[in-house]
Amino acid sequence: MTHDPTAAQVTLAPTVPARRSFFARLAGFAMFASLVASYGTFAVMAGRFLLPTHSRRKAWRRVAEIGSFQPATTRTVVAPSGERIVVARCAINGASTPATVTVDDFVALSSTCPHLGCQVTFEPQHQRFFCPCHNGTFAPDGRATGGPPFEAGQSLPRYPLDLRANLLYIEVPLDGVAG
Amino acid sequence: MSKLTSFLRERLPVDRAKLRELTNEPVPHHLKHGWFCLGGTPAYRFVVMIVTGILLAFYYEATPTRAWESVRTISEDVAYGWFLRSIHRWAATLMVAAVVLHQMRIFFTDAYRRPRELNWLIGMGLLHCTLGAGFTGYSLVYEQLSYWGATVAANLTDNVPWIGALLRRLLLGGDEYNAHTLSRFFVLHGAILPVTMIGLIVLHVTLIRLHGIAELRFKADQNSAPRFFDFFPDHLLTELAIGLVLMLLLGVLASLFPVPIGPRVDPLLTPDVIKPEWFFYVAFRWLKLFSERAAFASLGAIVVVMAAWPFIDGFIRRRRPGSEASVFVGIVAVLAIVGLTVWEALVAH
Ligand code: HEM
Ligand code: FES
Repeated sequence: MTHDPTAAQVTLAPTVPARRSFFARLAGFAMFASLVASYGTFAVMAGRFLLPTHSRRKAWRRVAEIGSFQPATTRTVVAPSGERIVVARCAINGASTPATVTVDDFVALSSTCPHLGCQVTFEPQHQRFFCPCHNGTFAPDGRATGGPPFEAGQSLPRYPLDLRANLLYIEVPLDGVAG
Repeated sequence: MSKLTSFLRERLPVDRAKLRELTNEPVPHHLKHGWFCLGGTPAYRFVVMIVTGILLAFYYEATPTRAWESVRTISEDVAYGWFLRSIHRWAATLMVAAVVLHQMRIFFTDAYRRPRELNWLIGMGLLHCTLGAGFTGYSLVYEQLSYWGATVAANLTDNVPWIGALLRRLLLGGDEYNAHTLSRFFVLHGAILPVTMIGLIVLHVTLIRLHGIAELRFKADQNSAPRFFDFFPDHLLTELAIGLVLMLLLGVLASLFPVPIGPRVDPLLTPDVIKPEWFFYVAFRWLKLFSERAAFASLGAIVVVMAAWPFIDGFIRRRRPGSEASVFVGIVAVLAIVGLTVWEALVAH
């Protein structure tokens, strides 16, 4: 390149009227703005495209008629996603009739560790749930007793339950990679 | 012949003398020692990864129903599938090892110091891309350990400040591991990360050429004039010889220790003994020692300090010239890495 930019300036500057340079600048600005706008629109579209649309689908399922669900017993529900969920009715301390039963008398513990999502298993010999991923441990009621979940004060999550007209319902996931 | 030559000359107007000058980087004498040629090793592995990876992609299917089955097909039914798969895996293992060793040699020979700070940052980028490719690649196999490793890692991204939840959803393509997750890992593994790495490698090498290779003197030849030898053909021949040895090593490892395929994913059962790939042992052990937030924050801080080290080191040495801080920090870091890795390797839980 033998082009000399200073030479060009010297010859051009006096011949370019101020107004044209204003329009030239405006055109430059407009071009730049439309470039930003079009690429920006594209980026937004691409981002939206990549963002998942649905969250995991869930539905309410019936577990049992509470009259047939005795205190201190459990029922097993198999969710459409494949998960086996144990629903327990707590033991009663003192007298209680079905009329005073509330949804809080039932628990459905999830086996998904609140730390980073591995599956816990129940160890009968230790009376605890154990998570093999980072050695998290949980009491039978779901409270963390050791490992990272304990440090962070996390418990095993619970499935939502509902009691309507003497029927116990549970909200379960419909799909998952297992199903 | 001369017609062909002049035909090509006209179509490819390259000046031979210039080309020779451009490619003929004077190479400092210490590169006669193998320890200093480690940088070329991952680059060589990278080419092997691309070639074998493209071949594997002909049969691999990135869906939850087919992924494990397709890897089994590669390993058991396709001609030489087991060999190509094993080369891909062994090259990945050796590549991570070579990147780490290369970074250690840069650190302990002070080659990251001014004016080469930017290349250290690019190198950090390459380290993370390599680890990312190793992680996403292993997830593709869709065996028990790779599935649970991916689940743990994806949930960990929740801890990234502000954008963690978004990042996790983007990575998984949903709230948790689902039918879209594997294809996202595959695109990252086979397209985004390799292309990013090619870009970073080009920048890395360009900066090396612009600065020249950091010269290093051993005690023995401290008083003599700096010695250099030609890149072409001397150093190229050395690198070619290294390449041959590496190929041989890969072939032997892949034949003697072909990569197995573990049990297929069971999303409802985490295996009792779970380990990531060996190069994540450090982080894995760390996760067991602290709560999630503390572990993530400290790992993040370590990575930031690592990336910023050339600047931190510069600051320390401006304050206290002749400080040996970097040597101590380096030794502590290496001991910690080795210690945590060995600890994790020795115990089941
Ligand atoms: C950038 C460097 C790369 C690294 C570090 C890497 C690493 C890995 C690892 C560790 C695995 C698991 C191997 C196994 O256990 O079978 C894997 C699998 C795979 N990689 Fe790569 N890879 C790289 C580049 C590529 C490229 C460029 C492609 C081409 C598109 C590719 C395609 C695949 C495929 C299809 C699989 C799954 C099949 C299988 O597991 O055998 N990889 N990769
Ligand atoms: S995932 Fe359960 S302890 Fe980490």
